[in-house]
Formats: sequence, structure tokens, C-alpha cells
Amino acid sequence: MPQSDMAKPSPFVIRRREWGDFYAVFHIYDFCSPRNMSVCGGKGVYGLLSCIERCSFLPCEPDRVLVRVQKLTPEKADQLIWVRARIHTSRAKGKQCFLVLRQQQFNVQALVAVGERASKQMVKFAANINKESIVDVEAMVRKVEQKIESCTQQDVELHIERIFVISQAEPRLPLQLEDCVRPDGEGDEDGRATVNQDTRLDNRVIDLRTTTSQAIFRLQSGVCQLFRDTLTNKGFVEIQTPKIISAASEGGANVFTVSYFKTSAYLAQSPQLYKQMCICADFDKVFCVGPVFRAEDSNTHRHLTEFVGLDIELAFNYHYHEVIESITDTMVQIFKGLRDKCQTEIQTVGKQYPSEPFKFLEPTLRLEYTEGVAMLREAGVDMGDEEDLSTPNEKLLGRLVKEKYDTDFYVLDKYPLAVRPFYTMPDPNDKKYSNSYDMFMRGEEILSGAQRIHDAQLLTERAIHHNIDLEKIKSYIDSFRYGAPPHGGGGIGLERVCMLYLGLHNVRQVSMFPRDPKRLTP
Amino acid sequence: MPMYQVKPVFGDDIKTDLPTCMYKLPNIHAQRSASGCSEHALQNGTEVDPAFRDLEVRQDKIMRRLYELKAAVDGLAKTVTTPDADLDQTVTSLSQSPTATSFRGTADLDSLLGKDLGALRDIVINANPARPPLTLLVLHAMLCQRYRVLSSVHVHSSVSGVPAQLLACLGPRHADSYVRQRFQLGFTLIWKDVSKLQMKFSIQNMCPIEGEANVARFLFRLVAPYPSDPALATLVDSWVDTAFFQLAEGSAKERSAVLRALNGALGRDPWLAGPELSLADIACYCCVLQTGPAASCPANVQRWLKACENLGHFGPANPLLQ
Repeated sequence: MPQSDMAKPSPFVIRRREWGDFYAVFHIYDFCSPRNMSVCGGKGVYGLLSCIERCSFLPCEPDRVLVRVQKLTPEKADQLIWVRARIHTSRAKGKQCFLVLRQQQFNVQALVAVGERASKQMVKFAANINKESIVDVEAMVRKVEQKIESCTQQDVELHIERIFVISQAEPRLPLQLEDCVRPDGEGDEDGRATVNQDTRLDNRVIDLRTTTSQAIFRLQSGVCQLFRDTLTNKGFVEIQTPKIISAASEGGANVFTVSYFKTSAYLAQSPQLYKQMCICADFDKVFCVGPVFRAEDSNTHRHLTEFVGLDIELAFNYHYHEVIESITDTMVQIFKGLRDKCQTEIQTVGKQYPSEPFKFLEPTLRLEYTEGVAMLREAGVDMGDEEDLSTPNEKLLGRLVKEKYDTDFYVLDKYPLAVRPFYTMPDPNDKKYSNSYDMFMRGEEILSGAQRIHDAQLLTERAIHHNIDLEKIKSYIDSFRYGAPPHGGGGIGLERVCMLYLGLHNVRQVSMFPRDPKRLTP
Repeated sequence: MPMYQVKPVFGDDIKTDLPTCMYKLPNIHAQRSASGCSEHALQNGTEVDPAFRDLEVRQDKIMRRLYELKAAVDGLAKTVTTPDADLDQTVTSLSQSPTATSFRGTADLDSLLGKDLGALRDIVINANPARPPLTLLVLHAMLCQRYRVLSSVHVHSSVSGVPAQLLACLGPRHADSYVRQRFQLGFTLIWKDVSKLQMKFSIQNMCPIEGEANVARFLFRLVAPYPSDPALATLVDSWVDTAFFQLAEGSAKERSAVLRALNGALGRDPWLAGPELSLADIACYCCVLQTGPAASCPANVQRWLKACENLGHFGPANPLLQ
């Protein structure tokens, strides 16, 4: 470097030891002297900006508007616009540098070419910006004759006039985004890598930037919103239940203990008890969305220790099928909403994880447990009348139902009483069975629900029958002593519903920062 | 006031000669008395009363039978154009003999559909809402008369919306429908985006049956057996195929040819195949009315259409024909 070029470094440059840094120093001094910066809104053309500088542009160019990449269409052709996006890829070729700028699910091609607006050093600077850095770009939008297949904005390209780095990324990324998005089979054929799930989860911040992850979590947000909207329209009230409780609600084994001042308390396994107390408190129809903690040491594809539970409880008038109809109608409205409004997201996920589209019937198909057992026996499975369904049997039954009725979602009603919890109401017509039901998506259980016993006397009897210590559930039984309406309900796991709707195979892909027996961070 | 008195015109002592060859009746205005000098045997003692009573009873019975006959004839007057009395809905208790197609019970279902595994035998039909299967709705009504059928209608996710009358086409929901086990047969109609109508029954033992004609044949066998005479059975089959392929899906020329053929066949016999209503008549009725209004058909066909309507089976199809 000639000595004269190494002029006084501008005070506006971040101190970094990179090749490009020296060029930046030289050129910021050259074109953006402090005199120019303060007076005419920074006539600098490119460079790295410190945190202070990001704010310093605003008073100088108060009417600068950042355009979303999604809006870059041929309508904006020949306009000079500013865009803030990440560098997805950059490739230098002689006197030109091609960049792909990415903003969430959308990306656009951008070009820095040596000419009257850009110098060779600028092109080199652009080529050397680290991937994933956030840049501000002033560019002219130009129409292209041939569609750019590899970008989402296929009809336009940006010709960059000014480029500034707002936030620089480290040069070596722990994983590459193209590898994250590559479908599993494809990588092995071409010798290119796909990323292991553990690596992905360890570097979740980068993994969540991929188009697939963005689509998955937008869909999950849609599920939550549709759940709330559908139930609110039906007259339900949203409640918040406590998660630190004094006694285990479902069973003693799978519960987390926390130290609570001088004693200990537990993290709630489900909001069951409090939902029912709300019904006894005359709220009639309630739902709640909140975390559920299960200390199950299961390392499977569908178990998490902490997940989001969407729980419903309602009082009914004459028959518990009113509860089933209400819940299945809510699920069908959610499915319809996703089918009609989230097709882009479903297609995006399908590119990396192809699967069959989700099918359902309206009104929802309701089969009885005896029918399910008969179908399984016809298929060669040997099982007793009152035996519970094992996971492989559930999957087989799901396939049989799909074959006959072509639906991925159905309800299995009237489970045997012996396999249900003590608070399940027995069937008045047949004491071997109960008024309880399970709902399945793609052959996997997503909801377990029932009509609850609302009579304190009967509840005590059933608890004694199940050898449960009455002292531990005294407050639970007490809540039914002062007039409780007949009621029922059920709860679904948000992550499991999303996973099964999209046909994914691991619930961790659908949980932003999943918790399982082996993972506690990030 | 003294009134003008008229002298009697004739005297009351005139003697008249009554003829002796006439039958003398007692004076019906005179009081009835046990010692009355009536010549009639009825008034003589109690030993004649039972006979009188018997006569009265016989007379009452005859009058009652006459009234019943009159009511029956009035009913028959409505179906006077319907030659077949077997499946007539309006004949009263006078026709006591049950016909061959009356209630058969579960024993027959076991022989037709295979052993009962303790669960509802559910027939699943996937139909396109753009082409509702009228024949199957008629057969569903006939099935409901013979068995306890749990009917349900669903809309598949491949179809976005279905008109209300298609959702209600199987009739109102049964009161017992919350317990599926109480029914002998299930009939599940799913409105789906399929190119051909499809029926699924037993996944392990049967492949899906496609085409409205074939599903109609399956369902009809649950209602009544096919004619045992092979020639007649073939005739029924050929009319069913004609109805579905040429009448429903054919060009205008084919349709008019079929109507002419129908006209010719119905000129000879009251029904299309044999002396009774059969699947051929059901299929042709639905397809004829789907192609055009009744008034545009030839005369024999119109008469036969009226006869079909009088039988009352085609009620479920009518709202969908408008």
C-alpha cells in the first residue's frame, strides 16, 4: 500500500483487522470526509458503519424509506430505492460482483459493476462482505429479460449504487444456510452436506433464518391465532391457570419439582384441575394456551419435556357428544384456515420435507372403540376388547381409516373404562366403557379427553377404586361439592398438531427452542 | 167467534174393498206390545231374538267389510295406473300376504356381507357434488325401510363448499345416532373431488367399487335379490348400463335413441324388466329425469314415470332434481 494512501483513518470506521477494512478506510476518507457527511447527508458510497453511524444518517436523510424485498416487482422498475437485507451469497466475477440479498423468505439478486458509480475497490469490498451480514443498499431496480430462477423475486434485479454494512457477521458460520434447507435425500446424491438436527438446534438462531423454519413458525402462529379466534367466536373465555402447583395433577411420576421457599412445589402437567374449577365457577366455556411440563424420560420423535398446551373445557346440556362436536369443529376450522390462508408456507415446508397434503372430513368422522378393535382384528391384530391401543396399533388403525374414509383426522369414542384416568365418567349404558375419546392426526394421538365426573361422591368412589390417596386430591374433590355442571373437554399440543399437519417427523423441528431430557439450551 | 163450519164432504163409514192378494203389513205407528196381533215372526217371543241378533251382526259385518272395501278402492283409484300391487304403499290391511321383498333381518346381512365382527358395517361412498348419485339416494331410502341404517353425510377437505340440500340429502339425523352399535348398517356419503363415484366397504376383502351403476347393483342386492331367471337378470343389467352410460353421459342423439327404446319397451310391459319394479326401473327413472323434464318424454315413458312416482320410493331424489 503506497504510504500516501494510508491517510488519517476516519473516526467513523469500526476497528477491525480485515483486508477490506483498509480499503474502506481509504475510501470513506476519500469520499466521505467529515465535512461532507455532516452537510449533505453522507455522500459516501460504501463502507462499514459503526453503531453511532447508523443513527447519524437519519437526520441527514429523513425521508429515506426502506423497501421490503417482497415488494420488489417490475412495477418498481427504474426507481432508486433503499433496501436493508442480509447477504445470502456473494460471488465476484472480474469487474462485477453478484450478490443475493435475503429478507426472511424473500431474496433478490443484486449487482455491483465497475462503472461511473462504482469503483473496482467497491466491487472488491462488496465481494468480501461476510455472509449473513446486514447491509443497507441504495440501488436502481431493473427489469430482467430472463427470469432469475434461484430467487423469489424473479423479474427484477438491483443495480447497486451505494452499499453499507450495518451489522457484520463473523466470517466462519457454524452452518451454511443452503445446507440447512437441502432435503435429506438430495445431499447424499450430490455429495453435498445436510445438517444434523443437533447442530441445527445448537445454532438455532441461524437455523431459524431459513425459509423452511420461517414458514413452519408462521404456520404455528397461524394455528394459535385460529384456535383463539374460533373459540372466541363460539363464546369461550380465555383463562390463565397457575403453573406452580402444590400437587401433581395427572400422576405422581412425571412431574418436575421446584423449590418453593421452605417447601417444594411442582410444575403443572396440565391445566386440567383449574379448567374444571372454572367450569364449576360458572364460566361455562373456557380455553387456555400455556406451557405444560412433563418430566417423562422419553427420547422419542414426539415427546418434549416442555410444550405449549391448547386446552378446552366446556359444560354441556344433555350429552357429552356436544363437547366432541365443539372440539372437532374447532379443529376443522383450524385446518380450513390453514388450508385457505397458509398455502405458501405449506408449499415452502414441502420443498424440504415433502409430504401428503392433510385431509379431513366435515363433520369429523367419529368411530367407536369397538369398531376400531374390529378393524384391527380384521387386519390380523390380536387384541382384547378392553385392551388399550399401543402406538403401532394406533398407527395401523390410522392407516386403515385413511384407506377407507380418506381422512387424516378422526375421533375414537367410548374407550374402555379400565384404561382411562379415575376422573373419567363411566358409560351409563355399559359399565365396561367410558364417555371418553381420543383424537388422531395421521395415526398419532393428539388429544385425550373425556366427560369428567362432576359428582363428588362418584369421584371419591372411582379414586378409591384406582388406589389414589384421597388426601392428595382433597381440594380437587372439594370443588365439586357446591354444584358442578356436567362438563368435558380435552387438550392438544401445539407442536404436535403442527408437526402432524405438515407431515414432519420430529417435534423438535416445530419447537423454537425445544426442551427434552437431553437438551436445556439454547 | 163462531166459525163457518164445513159439512163433511164424505162420510167416514164408507166401506172399501181391500184386495186380498196383497201382503198385509202391521201398522208401524201402533205401539209394539208383547200381545200385539202382528203377523211378523219377529215379535213373537224371545226364541227368535238370537236369530234377529245374528242377522244384525251379520249385517254389521257385511257393512264393515263394504266400508273397508270402499276405502281400499279409493286408495287403489290413485294407483290405478300402477299395475304392480306388490310394492304398493297405499294398499290397506286387506292384502295380508307379505311379499318376497319384505323385512329380512340381520341373518341375511351376514350371508351377504360377511360375518359380523361386532362393529358397525359401514358402507362408504365418495361422490362428486357436481354429479349427485340419485339412484343411490333412492336405494338408501329402500335400505332404511328394511334395516336399521345409520346415515351420515361428510364434506371432504378437497371440496370447499357444498349446497345445503346435498348435506341434507340422506334425511334427518336418527335419534339413536350417538350409539353406532345399535345399527345394523352404516351408510356414509362423503362429498369429495373424485372423477368417478367410488364405494369402499371392507378394506381387507374388497377393492373399491367404481361407478354409480356398480354401486347401485351392490346396494340393490341388499334390498332384494336379482331375478333368478338369467335372461331377466341380464335384461335388468343391460338397462342399468344403458341408463348410466348412454342416458346420463351420452350425446343428445344417444339420449333420444334410448328414450325411443324405452318407449318401445314400456309399450309392451308395465315395467322394464319383468312384472315388478326392479333396479332397471330405478336407474332409468333417475337418469331420464336428470337429462330433461318429464314433459319432453314420449307417452309411454311419461306414463311409466308417473307410475314410478306413485310408488313413493323416489321421494329423496325429487328435491335434487329441481
